[in-house]
Amino acid sequence: MSVPLRFRLNHEDVEVHVQDPGAPLLDVLRHDLGLTGTKSGCEIGYCGACTVVVDGRAVPSCLQMAGLVEGRDVQTVEGLGGPEGLDPVQRAFVDKAGFQCGFCTPGHIMALRALLDEDPAPDEERLRETVDGNYCRCTGYVKILDSARAAVASGAANPDPGGAGAREEER
Amino acid sequence: MSTTEMPATGLPSSALDLGRAVLPPLIGSPVERIDALEKVSGRATYAADTRLPRMLYGAVLRSPHAHARVVSVDTSRAKRLPGVHAVITGADTARVKWGAFRPDLYPLALDRVRYIGDEVAAVAARDLETARRACELIEVVYEPLPAVLSLDEALAEGAPLVHDDAEGNVAHEFSFDRGGADAWFERSDVVVEGVWETARQWHASIETIGCTAEWAGDRVSMWVNTQTPFLARQRYATALGLPLRAVRVVQTEIGGGFGGKSGDDNTSVICAILARRTGRPVQLVNTREDEFLASRPRIPMRYRVRLGFTASGLVTAKDIEVIADNGAYTGKAQAVLGAATVRHDALFNYRAVRAHSRLVYTNLVPTGAFRGFGNPSADWAVGQAWDLAAGKLGIEVPDLFLLNAVESGSVSPHNHKITSCELKQCITKAAEAIDWAGKRANPTPNRGLAMGVSVHVSGRRSFGDYDGSSAIVRLTEDGRATVIVGEGDIGTGARTTLAQIAAAELGLAVADVSVSRPDTDLTTHALGALASRVTYVAGNAVKRAAEQACGRLLEAAARQLGRPASQLWVADGVVHGPAGPDGGDPVSSPVGTVVRAELYRPDGEPVIGIGSFDNPSEFPDQSRYGNESGAYNFAAEAAEVEVDPATGALTVTEFAAVVDCGTVLNPPLAEGQVEGGIAQGLGMAVTERFSWRDGGPRRPNFGDYKLPTAGIMPRKLHIGFADSYEPTGPFGAKGVGEISLDPVPSIIASAVADAVGVRVHELPITAEKVFWGMSAQGAPPDTADPTAQDARSSAPEPDAAPAPRDPASAPHGSASAPDAGRGPDSRTQEAR
Repeated sequence: MSVPLRFRLNHEDVEVHVQDPGAPLLDVLRHDLGLTGTKSGCEIGYCGACTVVVDGRAVPSCLQMAGLVEGRDVQTVEGLGGPEGLDPVQRAFVDKAGFQCGFCTPGHIMALRALLDEDPAPDEERLRETVDGNYCRCTGYVKILDSARAAVASGAANPDPGGAGAREEER
Repeated sequence: MSTTEMPATGLPSSALDLGRAVLPPLIGSPVERIDALEKVSGRATYAADTRLPRMLYGAVLRSPHAHARVVSVDTSRAKRLPGVHAVITGADTARVKWGAFRPDLYPLALDRVRYIGDEVAAVAARDLETARRACELIEVVYEPLPAVLSLDEALAEGAPLVHDDAEGNVAHEFSFDRGGADAWFERSDVVVEGVWETARQWHASIETIGCTAEWAGDRVSMWVNTQTPFLARQRYATALGLPLRAVRVVQTEIGGGFGGKSGDDNTSVICAILARRTGRPVQLVNTREDEFLASRPRIPMRYRVRLGFTASGLVTAKDIEVIADNGAYTGKAQAVLGAATVRHDALFNYRAVRAHSRLVYTNLVPTGAFRGFGNPSADWAVGQAWDLAAGKLGIEVPDLFLLNAVESGSVSPHNHKITSCELKQCITKAAEAIDWAGKRANPTPNRGLAMGVSVHVSGRRSFGDYDGSSAIVRLTEDGRATVIVGEGDIGTGARTTLAQIAAAELGLAVADVSVSRPDTDLTTHALGALASRVTYVAGNAVKRAAEQACGRLLEAAARQLGRPASQLWVADGVVHGPAGPDGGDPVSSPVGTVVRAELYRPDGEPVIGIGSFDNPSEFPDQSRYGNESGAYNFAAEAAEVEVDPATGALTVTEFAAVVDCGTVLNPPLAEGQVEGGIAQGLGMAVTERFSWRDGGPRRPNFGDYKLPTAGIMPRKLHIGFADSYEPTGPFGAKGVGEISLDPVPSIIASAVADAVGVRVHELPITAEKVFWGMSAQGAPPDTADPTAQDARSSAPEPDAAPAPRDPASAPHGSASAPDAGRGPDSRTQEAR
């Protein structure tokens, strides 16, 4: 027995049949949809590695019940950037060496992406608050904060928040 | 003694002749990571991202008892659960004990479990949920046995034995007395002494340990996030009862290692057994709970140290007794204990050093390698003694360090031969960076200042008499280079650094150099990412391979272009030559064209270079005598810490680190190593611990175990590098991966003592320990809130444990009898 689940994922409408609508969105993304960019770090919503953006808000996908994203908009790291290049937040992480092992990086990037979508010019304290919500064991956060600041400075407004451009590209 | 007087180290003179002036522009430039795009886009393939057709998922059932006899294991209900493909127990294994140094671990328990977390059974099923549910259906009957849940219990007369062949629960023991410590103590004017303890610290890589295994005939391929694929392969083969040839290990992307993924745990072994049993690929990835219960965290050590000094502040002798909590199985703990015992002695000019070190089995989580490899424990305890001594001598800490620091050419009592050493420069620069003099002149209430120093190796001869590396550089017919090397990258950017070294040597752009990932079938043999060795050891090997490849390229180009090879050079991917003697034009040919022309001719040949390098070091003897590394890296770090007098909570307001890692090959990557090490050091010092229950972490996940977040990092952070050049390193470079962590706990403790007169002796330095210490010294918090007053009214004696803590900790309490007040004199009251 499986249940159909329809939602908008990275600017596209998707339908996936899930065994258990109560399963975490994280598992549906990683196993049913093959999007392994979203990482599992603790399964209790603590580490932030599984952060995705649901209707503009950063959420830990390990705690997000899959069935409850029916009809909603979900963005994962795979939805950022496009053929023409990286999302400004991704670009900032590259330019500022904001990652080491890279395992927490998609979560940090999605958390910052959600912040900048809501407030393109957050102050230092908001940036710190956001970065403070995700664990990183490698960097000591110094270069993640540098990346966050660089993303803001580069005018990191999402180049394509609604995904219309992305769909144009695909046609 | 100067460097030139030192005996030959076996290093070819060509490497020693490298001059500082010849550094190519690529060296020291902030080259972008070669794996940047895949990592920011989510495309990098970590252990749990491996996907094979028909793959099953595994889960492990662990012991809920610290020590018990396994009476029976009934797997029948679990096997009947739909979707379950196999349930295995110890009976399904080769029943072989394995381990890096002291084989004492079965892949799955046979008749006894020895800690909460010990592997008892495992399941492979169609999905993870089914595998986990099946584990719950396995019925195990245990007969609990008396357990030893602390060092004291383990060492008590007649204590139950964790392993029957380890008398007195001692797994490993060694001692030495070099230079006659007693005589030097007699000649000392000032002696300080104390006992300091560390707690288990977990690597807590955000990616847990994981493996995917698949059999083809009698051969298994394992895709593992291991730091050390070749060493892991040897151990896995042993554990599986297979010849080495039957096991292939391929390294996946690694989401952080820090020593925790160096192949001492059972996860990959169990995965391979499940795959064989089911005849299908199986993926087994630790949950966070698995990781906290059964990985190999930092070894808690009880470290007694005594230091002697002359009245003028020259250090005379050091005497230590170290008792280390091995947990239930050994792994690399005995090597870690070795480093914890001797490494520090390459830091100061000790006249005599004496030590007695014991590794003790307990029925607790097994311990092992963690970034710093024993060094942080030594730097913590010995660093505290040095801080006490400075107070007693009335000498500022940086000055005391400068008075005693080793230099280039120094030789430690264990025969550590120091080649390049800018420790004194590090000390001076760190003091300047944090404005030591200014802060001392204008002290701020409740703020304290402290400094610590450390030495680390660049590779260590640990696994037999070899600490080398080899590499193959292949120039391609499209003008690129491929570096084939088995070392791997655990997140540090090592592959980028190696690409940079090759590119600099070859005259190519870094973007035109790719670096292999380790595969025991395909790449060169390598010991892997441990002991801060990859830049130094593998960097040298890659550099030599690139040199040889470049030489062959120029020979080929010489034939093609009609100029002697000695007159040719490569720049920006093009071979250039001068005008001919007959007045012909200067010549040039793209690297790819030269390579292709060298191939496409009768008896054509590829353009390939091979390079190897063995660390010019000695395999230490049983007493740990021997020059364990060819190059030593140094650091001095300083902190200003503010203590909240109402709560004891501390804030690191400013931190300075200056590291001597030789030439800095890639500044952002080197800075990242230093910054990350400081964060982990702060975690070890302040935040990271579990509350324990019956010998296991009460709630083994992040909710209870607090990793440092961005907020803990000092707002003022100074990262610097000494002007330094290591003659045996690639372009003058040494290791940088671990050292910044090492002195952090001691620095924080000293700064707290400087701020409020409370010296905590047992990590981590929690607010409550500082608070009880302040309360006990009769210095009532001037801004105490009601909560604090209530807490004080029920305050235990300062020597009692105020909170649940690591059961392996010593009984002597959270904080020592605190100092009566501030100032150099009072700071030494607890000594002796």
